[in-house]
Amino acid sequence: MRLALLAAAALAYVLAAWAVAPGFYDGFGPPAPYNFTCPPPQAGANTKPTSGHATIKVINGISDAASAYDDDGQIVIGFLPGAFDVTGKTSVSVDVVPLDTCPKPPAIAFVTNVYHVTADAPLLKSVTVTMRYSNLEPDPSDVYLASDPNGTWKSLGRSSQAQPFTVNTSTTSLGYFAAGYPSASPPPNTVTVGGGQTLPIVVAVLIVAVVLAGLPLAVVRRRRSASSEADADDEA
Amino acid sequence: MISVVVQRPLARALVMSAYVLGVEWARALVMRAPGAMFPALILGGAALVLAGAGWQPKRLGIGRDRLLLRILGGLALGVVLLLPAAVRPGSAPLLPFGLAVAAIAISIGEEIAFRGALYAALEDVGGAPVAIIGSTVLWTAAHALSHPPAFLGAVFAAGLVLALWRWACRDLVGPVVGHVLADLAL
Repeated sequence: MRLALLAAAALAYVLAAWAVAPGFYDGFGPPAPYNFTCPPPQAGANTKPTSGHATIKVINGISDAASAYDDDGQIVIGFLPGAFDVTGKTSVSVDVVPLDTCPKPPAIAFVTNVYHVTADAPLLKSVTVTMRYSNLEPDPSDVYLASDPNGTWKSLGRSSQAQPFTVNTSTTSLGYFAAGYPSASPPPNTVTVGGGQTLPIVVAVLIVAVVLAGLPLAVVRRRRSASSEADADDEA
Repeated sequence: MISVVVQRPLARALVMSAYVLGVEWARALVMRAPGAMFPALILGGAALVLAGAGWQPKRLGIGRDRLLLRILGGLALGVVLLLPAAVRPGSAPLLPFGLAVAAIAISIGEEIAFRGALYAALEDVGGAPVAIIGSTVLWTAAHALSHPPAFLGAVFAAGLVLALWRWACRDLVGPVVGHVLADLAL
């Protein structure tokens, strides 16, 4: 009865965990699923990323503090007061659009979508860029910027402090943004403790260990049980 | 006030539930601050371990008898928890190394709090069914702030497996071993 309940619960867990990639998570729970332009095979069901728009007011000849972001919250651009040259303008329009292709520049591996950020006024001050990335991808080492997605990408680095699964930096120009790492080196700051390609091996080893160690234990327990029954019969 | 909590099982279970949920939700909120993830996990794990203070180890399911069997059971639980991610090709994420220590701390803390102290407190109120269902529901609620809603079904099912093991084998060592393995791997 107890074992049957346990087995049924284990089966229910496997089915429930199969429905959400990668399954059981704890402690540092997964972020909301990332909406990929080009989803990796392990992403499962995917929703295409969205764009965003911000209209920044000009107050007393200075552009107001504001943020522009896509509706998924996967990229946020923060503007300080006076960030734009607003000569002759009453507002500044900023657009955030995900690129519908996935450029693969040489020597860089992107882990996020590429976003095109444009404004109808020139920048005067640096802006902050915050990009969220998927828990299914390695930790990016840099945010990259390009004026042409098929041209040269420049590293903007990243700040050391960021919320989990986000990367921050600052820049004085707008253009195409993506987060990633130099593809010639392994993904930074990560080790495969048990995940990645080794996870099936870890699980297989655990299964073998359970079976190999479990069989002798079961035999010993059965013998003990049989001998105690025999002792009880002798005493009777 | 303290004597009421100590002597009345329902009051004790309610206080225990509030404490454990409070720690887990506070941890989830603090972790959102830049740079706070590691300390929040370590301190959260320590605060959860405190939930086991005052309980006899046997009531928590901790003991050295049948230790090999308990550890073996933990390995088997680890296999069950990791199986969906292992079968799905390439779906396991990469765990930053620093988080491995924090993962161990939080898994031990959660097992002592949920399947240990909370389970024992709820068992005093209504027996095994209340302990199994109650600890699993509270475990799921505790993860509501740290996990997207889509993951809560899997969290509930994982809690149910661990609580049923605690009931069927009167053991907490297995859930601790299984939980640590699963957190280290994912």
